[in-house]
Amino acid sequence: MAAKVYIAGRDEIPRKVSLGAGEELDILFVVFPGADCSIEMDVDLRGPGADAQIRGLYLAAGNQKVDIALDVRHSAGGCHSRQLVKGIASGSARASFYGRIYVAQDAQKTKAYQENHNILASDKARIDTKPQLEIYADDVECSHGATIGRLNEDEQFYMRSRGIPEAEARVLQMISFLAPVAGLLPEELANQVYESLSQCQD
Amino acid sequence: MEKVLLKIENLHAGIAGKEILKGIDLTINEGEVHALMGPNGAGKSTLSAVLTGRPDFVVTEGSVTFRGRDLLAMAPEERAWAGLFLSFQYPVEIPGVSISNFMKSAINAKRKAQGLKDIAPGDYLRLLKEKMAMVKMKGEFAKREVNVGFSGGEKKRNEIFQMAMLKPVLSILDETDSGLDVDALKIVSDGVNALRSPQTGFIVITHYPSLLESMNPDAVHVLKNGRIACTGGMEVAQKVQTDGFESF
Repeated sequence: MAAKVYIAGRDEIPRKVSLGAGEELDILFVVFPGADCSIEMDVDLRGPGADAQIRGLYLAAGNQKVDIALDVRHSAGGCHSRQLVKGIASGSARASFYGRIYVAQDAQKTKAYQENHNILASDKARIDTKPQLEIYADDVECSHGATIGRLNEDEQFYMRSRGIPEAEARVLQMISFLAPVAGLLPEELANQVYESLSQCQD
Repeated sequence: MEKVLLKIENLHAGIAGKEILKGIDLTINEGEVHALMGPNGAGKSTLSAVLTGRPDFVVTEGSVTFRGRDLLAMAPEERAWAGLFLSFQYPVEIPGVSISNFMKSAINAKRKAQGLKDIAPGDYLRLLKEKMAMVKMKGEFAKREVNVGFSGGEKKRNEIFQMAMLKPVLSILDETDSGLDVDALKIVSDGVNALRSPQTGFIVITHYPSLLESMNPDAVHVLKNGRIACTGGMEVAQKVQTDGFESF
């Protein structure tokens, strides 16, 4: 089953989701450069064997403000959850990511993963990331990772030495960074994402 | 009369306030292969970095002209469009970008700079296959991410592949032969020899005479302490092999 795609500002992203035994959630959200937006999602895996997958990407430009808060609660055992959010902040944009994985005491055999990776594309942009794990069960497999970085200069020089202009090299780097999420989108939407990168150049 | 490809005059350059090149003079004419040898830290890689315009390296004195143009005033991509190529000593990994897309972007960027339309997909595919065969790479190679998960030898073959794809006028091979086995070395020297013509030039930076023997260089230079300490023919490379750099 393909993930359900939500575009911030166009679609209403579900605020609260409760998953019973064996139920699945698979969503992909996209934030384009433009209007401020705030995405808040609380997901409760309350039945055994429930599965939640939340992936998303954001492109923040100009004075845009993007806030993303994901709260994934494992109330029942034997559930899986995966979060992957990647984004780029340019101009004087501000982006924040808050992600929590909560594993209740009885939720044994939980598998929960969270990753948030961000690129600062300008000196004035700002990104805050706050990943959190709260685990009360002892037989679980959980991990999280968060990074904020800049575009790699060695990569840029390598591309430029082959004749790819600096601006185009930056776009290629951004495409490669976003590919793990953007590659899951329908082709037309993925192309829209890639075309929007021209608005995230400084 | 020979036409000058590259003319380096009294080049002083360094990084982070430290002077590494202390007055290099070197002229390369069309059709010539020049070997550059020298101990570690002599400035060989600094010279290739300065010639290709790597940020962070600062030229403090001297000039470099490439095909009559002021090379030092050009951006790295402009140098590539003008026909300069560097085979990196340490090729960079670019996750998420396929070799095919990477090379297509590079070729089309140059075409755009020349006022040409993008290369036709069929022509590109033919070129890709032809050059892959040259470096003995299989079909999936073009779909792989640039240098990601490549062995040392594969990375160097990928550099030669890119050189063949871009058809440069002047190629700098920065220790492309280091760490290669005999078979990979042959792929490199075959690649260079395939590109040799009365119009192209090469600067081959190496520690070993073996790659040079198959190339029959027009000159062998020994770089030491940021200066060219000695220039000659293959006998210089042989002297390096037997006596080391101490004797220069």
